[in-house]
Amino acid sequence: MKKLLSAPALFAVAGVLLIVGVVLAFWYSPVDASSMGFSQKILYYHAPIAAAALVAYGVAFVAAIAYLRTQDLKWDRLGFVSVRIGLVFSVLVMITGMIWGKAAWGTWWAWEPRLTTFLLACFLYAAYWVLRSVVDEEQRRATYAAVFAIIAFIDVPITFFATRFLPEGLHPVVVGPGGGGMEGSMAVSFGICMIGMLVLMAAMIVRDLEIELIKDRVTDLKTSLGG
Amino acid sequence: MSGWAQFKAIVRKDLIRELRTRDMLVSMILFVLLAMIIFHYAFTVKEGTDLTFFTGGMLWVTFIFAMLLGLNRSFAQEKDEHCLDGLLLCPVDRVTIFLAKTAGNLVFLLIIQAVAVPVFALFFIERNFIGDLLPFLVVLLLADLGICSLGTLLATISMNTRSRDLLLPILLLPLLVPVLIAATGATTLIFAEGAGFGSLGGRMLVLLGFDAVFFVAAWGTYDFAIGE
Repeated sequence: MKKLLSAPALFAVAGVLLIVGVVLAFWYSPVDASSMGFSQKILYYHAPIAAAALVAYGVAFVAAIAYLRTQDLKWDRLGFVSVRIGLVFSVLVMITGMIWGKAAWGTWWAWEPRLTTFLLACFLYAAYWVLRSVVDEEQRRATYAAVFAIIAFIDVPITFFATRFLPEGLHPVVVGPGGGGMEGSMAVSFGICMIGMLVLMAAMIVRDLEIELIKDRVTDLKTSLGG
Repeated sequence: MSGWAQFKAIVRKDLIRELRTRDMLVSMILFVLLAMIIFHYAFTVKEGTDLTFFTGGMLWVTFIFAMLLGLNRSFAQEKDEHCLDGLLLCPVDRVTIFLAKTAGNLVFLLIIQAVAVPVFALFFIERNFIGDLLPFLVVLLLADLGICSLGTLLATISMNTRSRDLLLPILLLPLLVPVLIAATGATTLIFAEGAGFGSLGGRMLVLLGFDAVFFVAAWGTYDFAIGE
């Protein structure tokens, strides 16, 4: 079980799923019937990346609460790497979103609720990063980072709700109330890409966490050797 | 000493200290008035430009920046004079400190607004909005509460870091975006067309939700933020 959840195994599973997903998306799923046409193919990566970013921030939120309760630095490391991976995915959401926006709406940037929320999430978690870099003492850094991670995660949905009060957005609602829904073969490809992307995110977090814990051990060993 | 008495004592201490020197209030009021003049020149492109649809934005950007100044100042004093250490040594609940600091900051913000809003109305608003004062005051109070509670929590954190006052805007501004969106929209609609509670309900709900959620979150985490 432990071997199955190790970073290399997770990376392999993610790789296979994402390749299968993209092959299915292009050769099995039909071209979108709406005005978006071929450019809709980017949805198979764009939406799973967005979901992975949010899940990573969610992991950081849970890790922050766990840290504040236990004061165990392992949780701090988990929160830290989750935010880092979440940021990477958020930047990818913005890039894929902009490419899609250019193809579908003819503009690189639209002040549209979801895109704007992700932009703000990027700034929030960049601030988390800055906060960590200006506190020297280990426990205090972890505590402040945890408090901010909790506040930041709560802010994201409120921001999303508030952006509804900005002038009309352009984002298509695919799944959910008022959404167009997905044709069966599209849903299969989409589901595989979604799972693949989440596994990739998990693999990256596991790998980074292992690295951080090894770094901690090296520091401990150095200290115990009087270095 | 009961919690309420402690709360009153801390608020009173902050108010007395400020009223003796008036450093913070004078600078904040001057800043707010200067910002209005700068906005006027920045946005007036030609003779008779209608600034009505900028009014909400101008007002809230000014208040939030003024509050950043005030928050930094209020905690810098606490830190430099070791007031906070003394306060932490007293048998006072950390939550009481949070509530008292938030209330103190709220009072300062309200004093500034009491000076700034009439001047702002004189400069920029042609419509008589006395009849719409009630919704305006509700929006004002709701937004202030969110700014002050979150601002107090984050100012406490940032003053204990190496970059101190440099850090606060980076932490606070992205978090305040929902407040800015809702308060700006509501204020502009009140100033421009006298919108009432009916059409502002959604925005007020955002502000109320923000206040409630972050008040609880700040309350719950302040113990960790203020440290031992």
